[in-house]
Amino acid sequence: MIDQKLADDLKQRAKQGDASVLRSTELKSLFDEIKAMPAEQRSAFGQEINKLREELSELLKANQDAAEALPPIDITAPFDVNTLPDKRPILLPTETGSQHPLMTELDTVLDIFYRMGFTAVESREIDDDFHMFGSLNFPEDHPARDDYDTFMTTQTDKKGKPFIAPAHTSTMQHRVLTKYKDDLEAGKSIAAVIPGRVFRNEDLDPRHEHTFYQLEGIYVDKGVNVGHLIATLKAFLQEYYGKQLEVKTQPFYFPFTEPSFEFALSCPFCDKKGCSICSQTGWIELLGCGMIHPNVLHEAGIDTNVYTGFAWGGGIDRLVMMKHGVEDVRYFESGRLDFLRQFA
Amino acid sequence: MKVSLNTIRNLNKHYGCAEDVSAIGVDKLIKKIETQLAAIEEVIDIGSKYQGIVVVKVMACDKHPDADKLHVCTIDDGGVVKDVERDDNGYVQVVCGAPNVREGLFVAWLPPGTTVPATVGKEPFVLTDREIRGQKSNGMLASAKELGLGDDHDGILEIGGDQKPGSDFAEITGLKDDLVLDMENKMFTHRPDCFGFLGISRELAGIQNMPFKSPGWYVPNPDFPDIEAEELKLEVKNELPDLAPRFSAITMRGVRVGPSPLWLQVEFAELGQKLVNNIVDYTNFYMIETGQPLHAYDYDKVKALSEGEGATIVIRNPKPGEKIKLLNGKEVEPRAEAIMIATDKRAIGIGGVMGGADTEVDENTQNIILECANFDMYSIRRTSMEHGLFTDAVSRFTKGQSPLQNLAILRKIVNEIHEYADGKVASQVVDNNHVNQAVTARASVHPPVEVNASFINSRLGLKLSADEMGKLLTNVECQVGINGDELIVTAPFWRTDIELREDVVEEIGRLYGYDKLPLKLPRRDLQPATKDPQLTVKSEVRSRLAKAGANEILSYSFVPGSLLESVGQDRGKAYEISNALSPDLQYYRLSLMPSLLEKVHPNIKAGFKEFALFEIGKTHGTDNGDDEHGLPREFEFTALVVAADDKLKKSGAAYYQARVYLEALVGHDDLAFKPVSEDMQAYQVTKPYDLNRSAAVSLKGGEFLGIIGEFRPSARRALKLPKHSAGFEVDTLALGRIMSNGSDYVPLMRFPSVKQDMTIQVPAKMPYDELQAFVDKAYTANAPQDSLVNLELVDIYQKDDTASSKNVTFRLTTTGTNRTLTDSEVNKVLDAIALAAKSELGGERI
Repeated sequence: MIDQKLADDLKQRAKQGDASVLRSTELKSLFDEIKAMPAEQRSAFGQEINKLREELSELLKANQDAAEALPPIDITAPFDVNTLPDKRPILLPTETGSQHPLMTELDTVLDIFYRMGFTAVESREIDDDFHMFGSLNFPEDHPARDDYDTFMTTQTDKKGKPFIAPAHTSTMQHRVLTKYKDDLEAGKSIAAVIPGRVFRNEDLDPRHEHTFYQLEGIYVDKGVNVGHLIATLKAFLQEYYGKQLEVKTQPFYFPFTEPSFEFALSCPFCDKKGCSICSQTGWIELLGCGMIHPNVLHEAGIDTNVYTGFAWGGGIDRLVMMKHGVEDVRYFESGRLDFLRQFA
Repeated sequence: MKVSLNTIRNLNKHYGCAEDVSAIGVDKLIKKIETQLAAIEEVIDIGSKYQGIVVVKVMACDKHPDADKLHVCTIDDGGVVKDVERDDNGYVQVVCGAPNVREGLFVAWLPPGTTVPATVGKEPFVLTDREIRGQKSNGMLASAKELGLGDDHDGILEIGGDQKPGSDFAEITGLKDDLVLDMENKMFTHRPDCFGFLGISRELAGIQNMPFKSPGWYVPNPDFPDIEAEELKLEVKNELPDLAPRFSAITMRGVRVGPSPLWLQVEFAELGQKLVNNIVDYTNFYMIETGQPLHAYDYDKVKALSEGEGATIVIRNPKPGEKIKLLNGKEVEPRAEAIMIATDKRAIGIGGVMGGADTEVDENTQNIILECANFDMYSIRRTSMEHGLFTDAVSRFTKGQSPLQNLAILRKIVNEIHEYADGKVASQVVDNNHVNQAVTARASVHPPVEVNASFINSRLGLKLSADEMGKLLTNVECQVGINGDELIVTAPFWRTDIELREDVVEEIGRLYGYDKLPLKLPRRDLQPATKDPQLTVKSEVRSRLAKAGANEILSYSFVPGSLLESVGQDRGKAYEISNALSPDLQYYRLSLMPSLLEKVHPNIKAGFKEFALFEIGKTHGTDNGDDEHGLPREFEFTALVVAADDKLKKSGAAYYQARVYLEALVGHDDLAFKPVSEDMQAYQVTKPYDLNRSAAVSLKGGEFLGIIGEFRPSARRALKLPKHSAGFEVDTLALGRIMSNGSDYVPLMRFPSVKQDMTIQVPAKMPYDELQAFVDKAYTANAPQDSLVNLELVDIYQKDDTASSKNVTFRLTTTGTNRTLTDSEVNKVLDAIALAAKSELGGERI
């Protein structure tokens, strides 16, 4: 047991804001007492001292908080007492204001897709294994999961699986397909884009962020084919860059599309002559896409004999970096005003 | 997956599989690969490194007169190299330090002017003719390491066989003009066959509409030779038929272990594959050729670890606490579900992942067991991930190799070891086979796919005939039955990916060429697309705040626990990240404000004197409950912080500055500011705030919006906030509902207004809104008939902090709607208000 008087004295000093109490000889002597104790009492006594120490820290903090406390104000008034008319709070000049360049770009992109007839749905930031993988035809332990370094939580869902910070906006595919399924049956197409924040558990460098933005797109109807997919993306990109472009596809593999492609466009910055943006290749690989895998449509209850569709996904950060020549992706989430105010 | 074009050409020629797939020219071939097979990460021009290297014969080899370890050699290059000093016989002198140099050897000579291949692309070393300790040396004789063909630099590379002096070294090694293409593996996630040269070769033919025929030995059920030597008994017990559906093995006696032949050394050097010894290298080579991993054990070592008189292999899970030392020298305790290869006494390898050190084939090995097995891809992946073991076998097994090819490849390696390493078959083949009998019987992993040409055409937007499709598929060895419009496609035994009609669509589209598809936009009706209300609100909030001079930031959704604590938030209420690489990403943030506060000090330090930062984002917390899908509910918040450098000495509480920003979003007439109730204090979003100087914000008489205020002292200290800092965090969706409320337009006045100021002295403690509401009510009640009234605050004066009263000055603007009002009419109104204030509030007009 700690001597009550000693403890009270220390607490009193802490209450009065004496920061030296944590380094005091009295407190040290308590630690010294441990050594002299029978082994079986040591742990309990040690815990008691640590508790006292924490209490003292809290008291000191409370004292400091009290010392720094400011008087109450009239929260219902529009300005403070005795402020002269020219010192009253006003907004900063409009010129200093800015929207985040990623969000500005997203608005531009969304506007084009709205005009093309796509609706939009925002993606989630916490999801479950079923939406991130299961509903997208990724079996358990499938090697394709290796390509997504997902963040997971210690908390688990109802099936006992960790929640996942989505690594792609495709995590919304199943929800969107399910939501608009009835429209399909009523003779309309499903046309939606899904912007959102996605996460990859990887180390940062000028070209890699663990947090970035993607835009997913889905189109389902009767008789949709690969030519429609490529034509749609080409039409979007030509509108976005305001010029005629060439596009090409490379075969790729995603579990949730079949066939799958990587999609590239002729470099709009140098018109295929070769520049630093396209690494002198004349081409820019921009997104992944493909025809929605029948298992994904099935999972959403869509009849794959009648309907087919395509989906794509691409990064927003990259578009902005290329457009403005931003050299380091980490600036986007840095909150640096010298960066942000350039986009005023 | 790296492939050498020369290897592909040789394979096609040697096995008679196909015409020259590179006949269209390398550039065109690369382009075709990229559009129809896989992205190429790198094209390595390996051939150019070997230009000018000559095969020579050592004609004489004498000790250097002035150096113990050097020899002076005369070499015969057939006279092919120009501008080099020659003796009377036309031979060239070279000084060589290698211990193995001797007369009669064929070696690689780097004449003066050539570059040492191993230094190409690094610091190129160009050879000259120079004197070494007084003896002329023209260029050098090269070791395998200097040639970039392995690590061996103990001596010069000995080129076996009977060579012609002066031959082009690149020519005889197959390196001449060779290109190595490094293809992206990701495309082959569902194509285990493309992890082998055979598969790639077949594809290169297929995408050019050229027929391909697999080598004669590549068949599901080959004949094995009879036992040729005294039997080496082998027994296999499979306790895990689901995880190891097929395990085929055979023993061979009397193998000659040594270095691999030059062609194999060259091949591995091109691919960056490590050389071990001929037996191990052959097993690796046939893995690279076919995609099917193989393993060789030292038979006698396995037997020594077995109970009986022969060798026994048991496939089982690890025993509790069982450890194994692997070929890479590391000891691991495999996960409980791992597939262990063991004897009946102890483990000797992790199946499909890595062999054990205790049974490896070394220079003393005489008898071997060759294994060709098939393992469950998911189990292999788990084991590989859990122990961080990434091997060539793992990258192939995790793609799910076909179990129908085991015997073909086992038969092939037996043949090679028989022919080139003197091995003699010493057992029957042991084929522990648990593959579904129907699969084995039809020799195809999936049942035939029935699909109509019209189905395929509709998915591709093409008009190919069933026959044209059939040709594309048979080129890559599918069996295709055509019945009118219908195709019945049976995939060859090595293909695991053709199961659905859509898989056939992919195959046809790719082999035909996606670049040839007609592009056409889908047709749509005139129905307008609906905008997403949530995104629209965010856009509107963003644009209003930016117009108000604030800067939008984006910050991470994950924060460290220390940040939560510094603002008084409870980390126990936050979703915790279990596997972040970065220690700063520990929790989903409970509110946006802490992230914003973190950005204040760095910007002040960077010289920004005054600013407003905002973020529109989602927050998460275990207290938020679940949404309608049973997932953690996501809250949408908009947070803003105002801050000014202490040097600016701003007057008035920062709280009011934050309020101006909130009012830029929602008119102040609509908002109510109330003390933060005890219930609200439980919400984590309120934790950073100093409750003496904060308010709960809601819509007047309605919806709750959020909190506004200054920050608690401990948060100010921890985040180094300037004195003048305050902020708010409000529900974005609620904002949206308010912002879309009707218009505030007021019709223009036709008659002049009367403006009069009035000051009322009230107790200092009286909240402003109480007085304002009172005056507003009295003003409206006493307003002249047919008039409009407007009340504005002009000033609040209080002598000092301890004063018991304050003076509040209002400006009253009264306007007649049908006449010009007189001063006396308006004065009456003011008098009435003053009277009411005195009697009901105890306020004094001044």
